Amino acid sequence: MAAGTVLEIDHISKRYGDVVAVEDLSFDVRAGELFGFVGRNGAGKTTTMRIVLGVLSADVGEVRFGGTPLTFDSRRRIGYMPEERGLYPKMRVADQLRYLGELHGMTDADARASAQRWLDRFGLAERRNDELQALSLGNQQRIQLAAALVFGPDVLVLDEPFAGLDPLAVDVMSAVLREQADAGIPVIFSSHELELVERVCDRVGIIDRGKLVASGTVDELRAGGHERRRVDVPRAADDWDVGVPGVRLVESDGSRRLFELDPGVDDQALLQAALATGPVRAFERVEPSLGELFRTVIEEAGA
Amino acid sequence: MNARSLSLGGAHHLPATFLVARREVRMRMRSRVFVGGTIVMTVLVVVGIVAASLLAGKTNPVRVGFSGGSQALERSFTATAASLGASVTVSDIADVTAGKAQVTAGTLDVLVTGSSTAPTAVAKEAMPSNVESALSLAAEAARLSDAGLSPAAVTSAMALVPVQLLQPPNPKDNENLFASLALGILLWIALGQYGNMVAQGVVEEKATRIMEILLATIQPSRLLAGKVIGIGLVGLLQLTIVGAAALVAVHVTNVAAIPALGVASILGDIFWFLLGFLFYATAYAAVASLVSRQEEVQSAVAPIGILQIAAYLLVYAALPNPTGPLATVCSLLPPFAPILMAVRMADIDVPFWQVGLAIALTVASIVGLTWLAGRIYANAAMRLGTRVRFMDAFRG
Repeated sequence: MAAGTVLEIDHISKRYGDVVAVEDLSFDVRAGELFGFVGRNGAGKTTTMRIVLGVLSADVGEVRFGGTPLTFDSRRRIGYMPEERGLYPKMRVADQLRYLGELHGMTDADARASAQRWLDRFGLAERRNDELQALSLGNQQRIQLAAALVFGPDVLVLDEPFAGLDPLAVDVMSAVLREQADAGIPVIFSSHELELVERVCDRVGIIDRGKLVASGTVDELRAGGHERRRVDVPRAADDWDVGVPGVRLVESDGSRRLFELDPGVDDQALLQAALATGPVRAFERVEPSLGELFRTVIEEAGA
Repeated sequence: MNARSLSLGGAHHLPATFLVARREVRMRMRSRVFVGGTIVMTVLVVVGIVAASLLAGKTNPVRVGFSGGSQALERSFTATAASLGASVTVSDIADVTAGKAQVTAGTLDVLVTGSSTAPTAVAKEAMPSNVESALSLAAEAARLSDAGLSPAAVTSAMALVPVQLLQPPNPKDNENLFASLALGILLWIALGQYGNMVAQGVVEEKATRIMEILLATIQPSRLLAGKVIGIGLVGLLQLTIVGAAALVAVHVTNVAAIPALGVASILGDIFWFLLGFLFYATAYAAVASLVSRQEEVQSAVAPIGILQIAAYLLVYAALPNPTGPLATVCSLLPPFAPILMAVRMADIDVPFWQVGLAIALTVASIVGLTWLAGRIYANAAMRLGTRVRFMDAFRG
């Protein structure tokens, strides 16, 4: 098994008694791609990641890498950062990384060198002989990421890697993830920070109640949604009715109005209606943020 | 250079079970609990042995001083005392007054004065009866000799009555049995301690959530086996240190005869201890994986503790009749074999097939238990919070 291949999640389902955790979920994470996995709490993100890692088994469906179903041995090549951070609190930082490297099949010398390299990279070389519990939470999180990277994984699966990080640490984390993706491995991570996901990820998957409700690049997600225009019309009456079919007022802020256009509606009709009220100071196309897209998608899925 | 290309060689990587066991050994040997615990245990055992030797001071040889004519009795007194099982040392006392002062001071136990045919004994509080008998017999022999009997005639006249035993005790002497029994029971208690350590270690991995990372890397049964083996080795090291200190203390204080513990029976006890440890530690690990917090460990492992106590009580029930059906059957069953078979082997010559069957059943049940525990471990590991029911964990 080599890097440069696709991770396929193929129609997986998992239920706990009557509770459906994941239902018929399918998506791909391509080689060299950063895939952001977003969804509300309890939507099924962690369950999906645990199934990929084989820590949980799916009731139905399979996970493939490079076209072949994941086995125990190929799963060992996945770097994993669980949502519940977990390392030995009383073990020395460098020993911990070495141990995990060896468990993943590295020789002692390789594991030692790799642990040192990642400690250097995260600026923690001087703390190498400290017990993990002596480190700040942010530094513990860096070690947790190093634990996922130490053996040179073929796939990275990270559950909420940015949670609790300060802005500088966020930069380091996203740089490392980008670097790993650029090296040709599929990287999937979950996050609640949609702005960050929008900035960092190549593609996004939105999961709700165990189902994938949208996936694609942020632009692709936008293409599926409604276009928006912001219009500044100082002379318009407060109860100004545009009177153009397929155009809805979304919000109103003084003289500035935000409209949403149904697919296929010509925005020039809106502009003419605006000009009819008097001067138009601004007429701009507004791209919805991932956060807005997320809310729209979730609302539609729930409807 | 990327670590990936380095690790693909994989020629020299070590088995996961070994890595887990090595980590357990390293971490525990570095911990203050282990170092401190070993020191405290060693000190307690040595102090206990020294205290026992001081309390049991009577086992020291009785110091008997002879003055004047009675000094002629020294040789025959020593020989007679030996045949009566009394341990004595003899010395010459020049001055009776000084000798009495020594008895009062406690540096001499008995002072013998007077002639060899009519000696008088002086003691402080009491005179050991076998010393008194030996002295009387020595004086009687002196009187017979004085009356003109030849030394051979004196010897035959003084001969002790021969005793014939119709049912001689079994060839493994009693002292050996008790020493082995004591060792077996101490090891049984130690086994409970180390089993608890395994349980604590399992819950630690669950509580600190590292279990999720580990189980993505290593099969649960291997993780479990590594943990059990690692803690077993640490336990064995600790027992060896404490045991060696105890042997040295026993040797120095001379409180008991070391040869009483035959090498074979020590090795037998250790062999059964290891089998018992593997059996019970695996059970402890399986049960501990059902809970998530350290506080819950004790109540979770209680049933195993009860099983261990039952096995311990069975020893007393079975020992009076080591060849009876209760002892025979129970010593073949895995939960009891490690202690019952060990005790029976110290007591009697157990038929070879019974020993072999007990070992085979115990080893088979360890393998089965490791598989079962691995399954429970994997299914219970991801369930945090409430205690997982056994059947849920088994089914997954």
